[in-house]
Amino acid sequence: MIQLQNVHKYFFKDEPREVHALNDINLTIEDGEFTLFSGPSGCGKTTLLNAIGALDSIESGKIFFNDKEISSLSEEERTTIRLNEMGFVFQAYNLVPVLSVEENIGFIMKLRGFSDTQIRERVLEVASMLEIENKLSSLPHALSGGQQQRVAVARAVAAKPKVILADEPTANLDSKNSKALMDMMRDLNEKEGVSILFASHDEYILKSVRRVVKLSDGALL
Amino acid sequence: MFRLALKNILFYKGRSITTFALTFISAMLFIVYVSMMDGSHKSMLENTLKIYTGAIEIYHKDYRDIGGNEYLIKDVTSITNKLTQIQGVKAYTARYETYGLLSTKESSAASMIAGIEPEQERVISSLATALREGEFLSNESQNCLYGGAGLIEKLKLQLGDEVAFVGAASDNSFAADIFKVCGIFKTGSFEFDLSSSFVSRNYFDKLMMAQNKASYITIKVDDLENVDAINEQIVAVLNDVELESLTWKTLMKTMVEAMEVDSIFGYISLSLFLVVIFFVIMIYGFINVSTRIKEFGVLRCIGFSNAHIFSLLFYEIFILSSLALLLAAPIAGYICYYYSVHPIVIEGIADMYKDYGIVSDEIPFNFDILTLSWNLALIYLLNFLSILYPYFYINSFKPIEATKHV
Ligand SMILES: Nc1ncnc2c1ncn2[C@@H]1O[C@H](COP(=O)(O)OP(=O)(O)OP(=O)(O)O)[C@@H](O)[C@H]1O
Ligand SMILES: [Mg+2]
Repeated sequence: MIQLQNVHKYFFKDEPREVHALNDINLTIEDGEFTLFSGPSGCGKTTLLNAIGALDSIESGKIFFNDKEISSLSEEERTTIRLNEMGFVFQAYNLVPVLSVEENIGFIMKLRGFSDTQIRERVLEVASMLEIENKLSSLPHALSGGQQQRVAVARAVAAKPKVILADEPTANLDSKNSKALMDMMRDLNEKEGVSILFASHDEYILKSVRRVVKLSDGALL
Repeated sequence: MFRLALKNILFYKGRSITTFALTFISAMLFIVYVSMMDGSHKSMLENTLKIYTGAIEIYHKDYRDIGGNEYLIKDVTSITNKLTQIQGVKAYTARYETYGLLSTKESSAASMIAGIEPEQERVISSLATALREGEFLSNESQNCLYGGAGLIEKLKLQLGDEVAFVGAASDNSFAADIFKVCGIFKTGSFEFDLSSSFVSRNYFDKLMMAQNKASYITIKVDDLENVDAINEQIVAVLNDVELESLTWKTLMKTMVEAMEVDSIFGYISLSLFLVVIFFVIMIYGFINVSTRIKEFGVLRCIGFSNAHIFSLLFYEIFILSSLALLLAAPIAGYICYYYSVHPIVIEGIADMYKDYGIVSDEIPFNFDILTLSWNLALIYLLNFLSILYPYFYINSFKPIEATKHV
């Protein structure tokens, strides 16, 4: 469960160009939810995801991740939380260029100390769910954008995180690939019970999610 | 992590090849240069020691500082009897040195005149081999003078000529004799050749009333490396506070100091070179890392810690340096070893530097595993230091900012 209490975040605080990027956010997200943050450009979707994902600090308020307060942790502690509890998918696919698809998918598991056989098994499992099992030995640059993004999703999901945070995962994909990716992620959400939090403009996504959280000028609507 | 590092090395070939090549070249140059420097110093010392100064010399206290007949060694045989027990002592001989006036009808000069034991000197010093004209002394030589080429020239003497000697005997009485020039030597040490002459002890001792007395006893050791240990034994065996036993390190302090200064300058110029190499390696590492800021940012977002980044960079440089040094070590080692056995010969070097006591055209290298090891260790260390700046550069970005870096 993720809980946000009176969360505020500013950029350029106390300067003329100050931006109140998150304005008193109170929000609860239950385990296993499939949630979309939507709203116009600049409304604070990315900022909110980064705060929840322990990627960025906040000015005031509290963020709880399974009853653990993560808003007051050090950079080092936040890195550990990200490694062990969360999965990330970015707009750019951001795979490690020198590693094969298989090694990219298993990368986080490796960092977390899973054995090679555990990793291999799990990689095959998620790769077949995401339909990239025949690309395992390729290098990322030999894959299409849609395939690369599926590898990124596979990497995020492989180590069984509690939550996956995805900031505009479909922004670089055409509608066919976007749809395929969304379907697969919803599948993962149902089969694996992992919570998925999105930020997106995409029309298709808006229709396919159960819960939509709307933002405007940094505040919840 | 090791595999990732290996893959990065194979992927970013330009950086890998540059780092590898620079590490290899700098290790080679460093090792060979140090070996040559150490080797030429060692051979200079050995040559000088060969000429006249012993590896160890035993004096009566104050002879070296004050001098004079009171501070002569009074009982040579009791000391030399003790020396025979000591392992590592190759040979020894007693010398009786005095200063006197040598004169002919036209010319005169002050000279160091030493009573020596010719047969022992053949083993210990290079006086016998420095012979240019005539012959070296023998134990039976009578009033034969063996003079330095410079001195003989100054006195306008020729082989077979007679020269008068005036000096003070060991009991401070007046001593005078006529010597005949039997041999002329040239060691290459200018000072020495200009001011030294020798007479066989058997004859000279009677003239100087110096039987069983000596200015000092000079000792040749089997291995110069063990000189300190041997000297400790000698001190223990002598067990006499009136005597002091000194190694060449003390005896040739000025020369050793000059070599140290030379080494320091050598190391300074080397370190300038290494610093340049260090920066080039670092800059290549830095350029490589700065093109990967975004990649590192993503890795850090998904849970890559500072320790992970450090170990990745560490493994990369570790693999590259290890390969380069594994290749450089045997090659450089072989070069040093080869030239330590077959010294480089530069014709005319001995002539050019004869004033400095260099008496050989050969420049032998020094080959020893310890020096080689610390040379390698230093290059290793420098390479490891070169990752620090790239590391801190990566960490100067917040993970989330780094993902947006272009
Ligand atoms: N690093 C930053 N420095 C300064 N201001 C920032 C920074 N990041 C975001 N902002 C500002 O904070 C506000 C919220 O930005 P955010 O990126 O969260 O919006 P968004 O909803 O993700 O927009 P988009 O749909 O375009 O991705 C915007 O006004 C933006 O200009
Ligand atoms: Mg955004």
